[in-house]
Amino acid sequence: MIYAQEFVPKPAEIADVRQMTPIEKLFRLRFLNDEFERSFRYMPGQFVQLSVYGVGETTISICRSQTRPGPLELLVRRVGRVTNALHGLKEGDVVGIRGPFGNWFPMEDMEGSDVLLVAGGLGMAPLRGVLQYVLDRREKYGNVNLLYGVKSYEETLFKEEVLEPFERDSGFESFISFEKDDPFYEDLMRRHPDRLRKGVVTALFELVDRYLDPKNTYAVVCGPPVMYRFVMRELDRRGFSPRRVYVTLERRMRCGVGKCGHCIIGGATSITYVCKDGPVFSYFDILSIRGAI
Amino acid sequence: MLYLKIVKEDLPKLFGALRRFGEIHGPVRMGRFYAFREVSSVDEMSLDYTRTMIPPKKYFTRPRERILRVSRERGYELVGEGPRRLVLFGLHACDINAIKITDSIYIDEYPDPYYSERRRNALLVGVSCLPDEECFCRSMGTDYAHDGFDLFLHEVGDSYLIRVATGRGEEALEGADFLRKPEREDFVRLAEFERRRARMFKKELLASHLPDVVDSLHDSESWKEFVNRCLACGSCNLVCPTCRCYEVSESLNVSLKEGFRERRWDSCFLRSHALVAGGLNFRPTRLDRFVHRYNCKSGINRATGLPYCVGCGRCTVFCPADIDHVEVINAIWGVVR
Repeated sequence: MIYAQEFVPKPAEIADVRQMTPIEKLFRLRFLNDEFERSFRYMPGQFVQLSVYGVGETTISICRSQTRPGPLELLVRRVGRVTNALHGLKEGDVVGIRGPFGNWFPMEDMEGSDVLLVAGGLGMAPLRGVLQYVLDRREKYGNVNLLYGVKSYEETLFKEEVLEPFERDSGFESFISFEKDDPFYEDLMRRHPDRLRKGVVTALFELVDRYLDPKNTYAVVCGPPVMYRFVMRELDRRGFSPRRVYVTLERRMRCGVGKCGHCIIGGATSITYVCKDGPVFSYFDILSIRGAI
Repeated sequence: MLYLKIVKEDLPKLFGALRRFGEIHGPVRMGRFYAFREVSSVDEMSLDYTRTMIPPKKYFTRPRERILRVSRERGYELVGEGPRRLVLFGLHACDINAIKITDSIYIDEYPDPYYSERRRNALLVGVSCLPDEECFCRSMGTDYAHDGFDLFLHEVGDSYLIRVATGRGEEALEGADFLRKPEREDFVRLAEFERRRARMFKKELLASHLPDVVDSLHDSESWKEFVNRCLACGSCNLVCPTCRCYEVSESLNVSLKEGFRERRWDSCFLRSHALVAGGLNFRPTRLDRFVHRYNCKSGINRATGLPYCVGCGRCTVFCPADIDHVEVINAIWGVVR
């Protein structure tokens, strides 16, 4: 029997669980096998297949950058069978991990350019890895701006990190849009009217314009599918080249390695597996793929 | 390539020689249709068959199989499987080309442990065929297998001309003193056979620009007529030799301590296929799923350069709504009307 590294989940212990929002928890994981722990290298944008013993497997993006020492971090929304079971686990429990899978954001190509991160809701999770990576190699990148659309303060992910620029010099600028009536953000908006807007994430573009040099900026976008079309329109309007706009796509995945077929997008000239050819795509790559975004 | 010849009467001897390699499975008539089954003699097989309902992919990725054993204490491990050596006897060129495509997917940089092991343990023996009214492999360029098999038997009169493509195929024939060196006339007869065969195809799909056409004509009105007839049952997926989507599920036994992860053939016509967490569906309508399947089948496999549709005609023959693959695509092209 051929031993298949990519097919058998490796045991990982939950080192720490943190409730981030009412429906999202941050899991820190340590592999039980030291050698595997050492060989587990990943880049911003990659994902893992996470298994709960006896329940099943689900696809979760990695939400940290390996430029920071520490365990693997996964932010998981409680939304289905496996994620519900996972939310019931505690420190010391063991789960299975396969991966890392997929490609990553072109961090090296982005060197020397400004970086614009556009996140919507849970889309902040994969982009946090990009943000950390850029901040850890701060001298290699130009201005870094984050546009983050949330529902309210309570549902904001990585609150300290995304709010840090409002308190002190953090190496990047943060712009936040919120949808619900929310005393925290309404107060913050009074103090920083040039940084917050009530509404959806695209409302933030006019605030960030004076910090943007579209010709010299890479845009990195992640959010719910409905968000992409509107964000692309704003980027297009500002003259961003489709080759400098990167998105990460979500699809159902069962294998993570280009076999089970659920994540196939497009077809014919453009048949593409999101798990293997993605999940990161330049906007140019998917322009002609109907239904990609 | 080594060329040998066997007279038809000696087929049982060939059968005996191949049996040393492993179990022999071949096309067997089952009522109105054919199926690959284990056979114990040449007579059980119908070597002049048209197509089986289920393609030979069933030997490499099973309709339903356990892929991992799970224990709540020990975690996951592969399910052990004793090597089972198989001879698939009587594969048509379209099916051999289809296996090349599934090979390129299942044995790539991440080889599927089950598929690759089974593939390694299978000897493929092709046999020449004549098209019926539903075959369009010639349009797809998959009517001839240049490689991807171990042995290929071409019927030439009262004999078969054997193409021996691999060292393993040659080894399997070791000591077979009933094989002859072919004469020049045998190759002439092979050429005649192929010419006659080429003239017999009735269906034609204009395949030269197929990927671009299907990619760019998503919005053609012609889809709708077919979609309205489609039952979205997924039969076409199950009988397609290159359809390979699978779904995965996991369950524990009654002790709640041990269990299995299983995979089973899936279909892109089912609503659940493109559903993601939270209930969002990337292909919510039957039209979306219908177009997706035709899109997927109209591409070219990058690794092999072969089209994903090999023109076997199974999806048409076994469609309960009588939807004809060639008619659909020709209608989108504007060839039919």
